[in-house]
Amino acid sequence: MNRALQCGCATVVAAVAVLAGPVAAQKQDFGAAYSFAERAPRTVLERTIDRLLPSIVKVHGASGLSTITSYATGIVVSDRGHILTLDQILVQKGRTRVVLYDGSVHEAEVLPADERLRVRLLRVDPAEVEGGLHPIWPKAGDGPLFRTGQCVVSLGNCFRLAEFSEKVSATFGVVVGRANTALRYRLADVQYDGDLILTDACNNPGHYGGGLFDLEGNWIGFNTRLLESKETNTMLSAAIPSRDLLPYLDEYVHGKAQPETVKVVRPVYTGIVLFEPSGRTSPPAYVDRVVKDSPAAAIELRPDDLIVRIDDYSVRSCKEFRDVLAKFGPGTTVQLTYKRGTLVHQAALTLAQDKQ
Amino acid sequence: MTSTRHPFAVAAAVAVAAGLRAQARVDPDEFVHLEPVLHAAMERAAPFTVTIETFGGTRKILGPDEGGEGGAKPRSMPPVRPGEVPLADPGFHQAQGRGTGIVIDPDGWILVARFALNYDPTTILVTVPGGGTHHAERKGEDTSRGIALVKIDAHGLHTATFVEPARAHVGQWAFVLGRTFGDDEPTVHIGIVSALRRQFGRALQIDAYTSPANYGGPVIDVDGNVLGIAVPLSPAGRDAGVEWYDSGIGFCSTIADIPKIVDRMKAGEVLHRGWLGVVPDPAHLGPGAKLVQVPKDGVAAAAGLRMGDIVTAIDGIAVKNGPHLQMLVSSRMGGDSVGLEVQKKVNGEKVAMTLLLADLPSAERAESKEGELPASFPLPEKKQGR
Repeated sequence: MNRALQCGCATVVAAVAVLAGPVAAQKQDFGAAYSFAERAPRTVLERTIDRLLPSIVKVHGASGLSTITSYATGIVVSDRGHILTLDQILVQKGRTRVVLYDGSVHEAEVLPADERLRVRLLRVDPAEVEGGLHPIWPKAGDGPLFRTGQCVVSLGNCFRLAEFSEKVSATFGVVVGRANTALRYRLADVQYDGDLILTDACNNPGHYGGGLFDLEGNWIGFNTRLLESKETNTMLSAAIPSRDLLPYLDEYVHGKAQPETVKVVRPVYTGIVLFEPSGRTSPPAYVDRVVKDSPAAAIELRPDDLIVRIDDYSVRSCKEFRDVLAKFGPGTTVQLTYKRGTLVHQAALTLAQDKQ
Repeated sequence: MTSTRHPFAVAAAVAVAAGLRAQARVDPDEFVHLEPVLHAAMERAAPFTVTIETFGGTRKILGPDEGGEGGAKPRSMPPVRPGEVPLADPGFHQAQGRGTGIVIDPDGWILVARFALNYDPTTILVTVPGGGTHHAERKGEDTSRGIALVKIDAHGLHTATFVEPARAHVGQWAFVLGRTFGDDEPTVHIGIVSALRRQFGRALQIDAYTSPANYGGPVIDVDGNVLGIAVPLSPAGRDAGVEWYDSGIGFCSTIADIPKIVDRMKAGEVLHRGWLGVVPDPAHLGPGAKLVQVPKDGVAAAAGLRMGDIVTAIDGIAVKNGPHLQMLVSSRMGGDSVGLEVQKKVNGEKVAMTLLLADLPSAERAESKEGELPASFPLPEKKQGR
């Protein structure tokens, strides 16, 4: 049985009891203290947060494992009850509950997840929602979704601080930049090849599934787990660009079938043989020899050249050379950057198909 | 302020009307105006913010597969060059990605964090925004500031304008740019200057997140001028400090006040913090610094200083007490010439001498025995008859 969910329900019950019972009796003395009155918003940011908060929900999933958090945040994306959350907590039929802005608890239907983005839609019955839902949708238009240095606010239920109708947490920061970096979560590599929005608005456990918004309240990012960059070994507060969610959202919210993208991975051939003595760590990608009449021979690559980059991907080792090449298919032309002596050269290398 | 119903707001409004002329109105949307300021500063600083990539070299830091974090306990520190200390404690995952650097001279001189050269790489490449990728030669470094110089064969580069540390102020904006995640546009972290004159006047403390993602990057002010270069430093004086990343405690080394440091680094010198080789008596509250130890291998011993002598002045500055002496010495570099005034214990005579500071020995660089201020000052027990 799910302990976390039980706790959550108990707290909800307790909160209801407090609000229904003692408040009425002590209204004379403590009314103001219990009313949770707020002043009206004054700033752009305050107004934006107030407007967005009804769209942010708390998600409680089932979890029998201590390493997997049983809670996350969700975003209402349709008035028919669709709620987007991260496919990270264990969602199970009959065990997944959504707590809306007003504190009402709803059992959620679980829709298929997007395996690549690791996001998942839930659905609550809109008929059971009093006062209606407040859906939002990724920032529209063809213009840039965000820019580095832009002020952002991140909304999410970090550390499950918000219960019942308590509001999720808002954190402020700027867009640090866009990253396409090799990722790790705990000790496991993360298979994700898309761009991420980095921010210094902190992404703590539970905050994921929430949203990253600009000052006008445009939804620009969907908070991911706290990931670690394999390149810098530092934690990243990151968000998936909201527009990258559109194919999945369109398919499951609007029923627009997406064209099947069948990706056939075919190995490529360059004719480059690297100098790679066996050892614990992969050495830098020095060319040992170049096969005659190969793509590498066509660009006159020579032994002892050091390959440092393929397109915009850094190549710091023989292993990375292979990993990066695996991203491309035969027939692709890549920009190969290599060092010969003290000079750095670039050449367009057209990848052939590996005949083996 | 739009609401004046709050009593404090009314009081403030009255105060403004009564006394303060030309008082700027408080704009509650101040952060909205931050965006254009930040973008303008970034645009000015981006051209001299370069990417540095390193290849090959040997690890000086244990990774998870070598007994570091997530593995078994390390048996010992990894071997490093004789007389060197590793840059971080074992267990930290050393960064292997790109780093950041600052162009300080149009003829291809690039200032980087020593951290980036941690592996003692065999190949260093520098990519200038819009200016291609270049092979770089490693030149001198300053271990006390955690910085190093590399040289590329390029000319007419955009260069950074450095702000004198004396013109920085606690509370001013500090933006850190990084190139780790690509060359198109630098990343940015924002914060303020938290403190001045850290590391004996070598660094500013900032609260913007610093990490391997932006070490070597410029810490800029609102005008895009450089306050310092983001480096891992720690108050213990070690080269470490990476473990403080993203903690709201960051450092940027300043060089604008000491141009000769750059000249010496250009000449290939490896600079260290200065070392006199004395241990002041913490019980002696001044004036002057009474020496409780004078290690035999130090320059002080060679110059004839002995236990019980009192250093009364350095370069004409009256020494107030032991920590003052440590501060005056530690802010200087190895090889610097200093004038000392000493009151000898043997005859009470005052002597003046000039000597060259030694480099802080590597053991002290690791442990920072000299220069680190004691956590508390034991007050001397009151002696009878004094």
